[in-house]
Amino acid sequence: MKRLKNVTQGLLTGFISFVVLWELLYLLLHTHTVPSPIETVLYMLQNPGKLLLHCIASFLRVITAISISLVIGVVTGVLLGVNQTCKRLFSPLLYFIYPIPKVAFLPVFMLLFGLGNTSKIILVIWIIVFQIMLSVRDGVEQIAPLYFKVMDSFCVTRMQRYQYLILPAILPQIFSGLRISIGISLASLFFAENYATVYGIGYYILSAWTKMNYVEMFGGILALGFLGIVMFWAIDRLEMICAPWMKLTKNRNK
Amino acid sequence: MKKDFIILDHVSYSYGGQDVLKDIHLTLEKGGSYALIGRSGSGKTTLLNLIAGFRKPERGSITIEGLILNKPRKETSFLFQELGLFPWQTVSEAVSMPLKLRGSRQEKDPKIHELLRQMGLISHMDKYPQELSGGERQRVALARTLIGEPDLLLMDEPTSALDAMTKEELQTLILEERCSGNATLLFVTHDIEEAMILGQKLLILTEEGTVTTRDNPYYGLEHAKEQLGFYEECIKLRRLLKLDV
Repeated sequence: MKRLKNVTQGLLTGFISFVVLWELLYLLLHTHTVPSPIETVLYMLQNPGKLLLHCIASFLRVITAISISLVIGVVTGVLLGVNQTCKRLFSPLLYFIYPIPKVAFLPVFMLLFGLGNTSKIILVIWIIVFQIMLSVRDGVEQIAPLYFKVMDSFCVTRMQRYQYLILPAILPQIFSGLRISIGISLASLFFAENYATVYGIGYYILSAWTKMNYVEMFGGILALGFLGIVMFWAIDRLEMICAPWMKLTKNRNK
Repeated sequence: MKKDFIILDHVSYSYGGQDVLKDIHLTLEKGGSYALIGRSGSGKTTLLNLIAGFRKPERGSITIEGLILNKPRKETSFLFQELGLFPWQTVSEAVSMPLKLRGSRQEKDPKIHELLRQMGLISHMDKYPQELSGGERQRVALARTLIGEPDLLLMDEPTSALDAMTKEELQTLILEERCSGNATLLFVTHDIEEAMILGQKLLILTEEGTVTTRDNPYYGLEHAKEQLGFYEECIKLRRLLKLDV
C-alpha cells in the first residue's frame, strides 16, 4: 500500500513538473503552435467523448498486442531458457532480428494482413515480443541451480517444476518486459495509426496537426501520456498482487 | 538387531580423474543418526549427494530399503546448506509445498500448523524469507524437510551459517524432531561438537577417500557437553582428522 502511495505521489509530482515546464515554454515562446496547458485541458474537457473514443481504440490495440506478445514471449522465452538445443538453434536468429528497426515492416504487414486492425496489432507484437522473449529467457537462465536441486529433491514432475519454480521465478522479468513494452508499443502504435484508420490516438494527433488545430493536437499528446501512465500504474498494481515479495527483494537490493 | 537401511557397496566417485570417494562400503541402520565428518574437500557433500540420488556412483551401488538408488527418492528429504528457500513463498507456502507436490489439496493442513508451532514459526507464517533472521530461515527450511515425514533426512552443514546461540537452539530442535519421528538422519558437519551432539555414530571420511565408523557414547545424553570427557573426545577426533585443536 505504501509503495502504491509512493508510485501515485511520484506520478503526480511528475505530472505537475511537466505542466509547469509546459507553461514556462508557452510563456517563453508565446506562439499559437504551443497552447497553454489550461487551454488544452479545457479543450479536452469540452470534447471528452471524441478523445475517449480514440484513446479506447488505441488502448484495445495495445492491450491485445501485449496480451498476445506475453503468451508468445513467455512460452518461447521459457523454452529458450530451459532447452539448450532450442537456445542454440534460435538464439542467432533472435540476435539478428532484435536490433532491426521493426516499424519498417508496417507496409509488409499491411500487404499481408490488410489495412485494418490486424496489421497494426501484428506490428506492435512484432516489435515487443522479442523484448519479452529475451527478458524471460534471461530470467530462466538466472534461476539459481540450487532451486532446481531443491525441486529435484522433492521428485517433482515437469509441470510442478514450471508451476512452483520457473513461472514464479521469472515474474520480475515478465513485469520489467511489460513496462518496457508499454512505452515501445504506444510509440509504435502512434506510427501505425497514421495509416488507413480513422480511430486511435495517433490518428487523432496527426489529424489535428494537419488541421493546424494545435490545442486539439496537444490534447491528444496529453491523452497519450495519460494512457501510458494509467497502463504503467496498472502494471504496478498487478505486480503488487501477483508478486508481493518483489518489493522486499527490491528494498533489500537498495 | 536393527535392519540395514542403506547399503553403500564399494562406491567410488571422482572429479576430473581424481578419486574423491574410494571403494566405500558402508551400512546405515534404520532410525540411526549419523554424523559425516572429515576435512574440507574430503568428499562429505559428494557422499551426501550420492545418497540423495542427485549423482550416481561411478563404481559400486547404493541400495536403500533393498532398492538400487538411481534417482532421488520421495521418502528422502534434503536440508541444503544454502537452504534454497524460494523468495516468492511465504513460510506457510514453503512448508506446505512438499505436501502439495504429493497431491494434498488441503489448504490448511493441521500438520503444517502443528509443525510451525513446534518450530516457533506460527507468528511468521505469512512472512517471506527476506523478512526472517538466519535462524528463522533455517527453521523454515528444516520444517519444509520434515513435513513430508521422510524416512531418510539428509542435512548438509545444517547450522554452519548460524551464531552460537541459534546453533544450539536448532540442534535441540533437530534432536526433538528426531525423537518424535523415526527417520534415519545423516548429516554433514565440520563442527565436531555438533557431530558429537547429534550423531549416534560418527562416519569419518579420511583423506584417502574411505570411511571409518565410530560409536558416539555421548549421543542422547542430557547436557552432553557438560559430561566428563566430552571435550577430550572432541580433541581426539580433531587430531584424527588433522584439524587445528
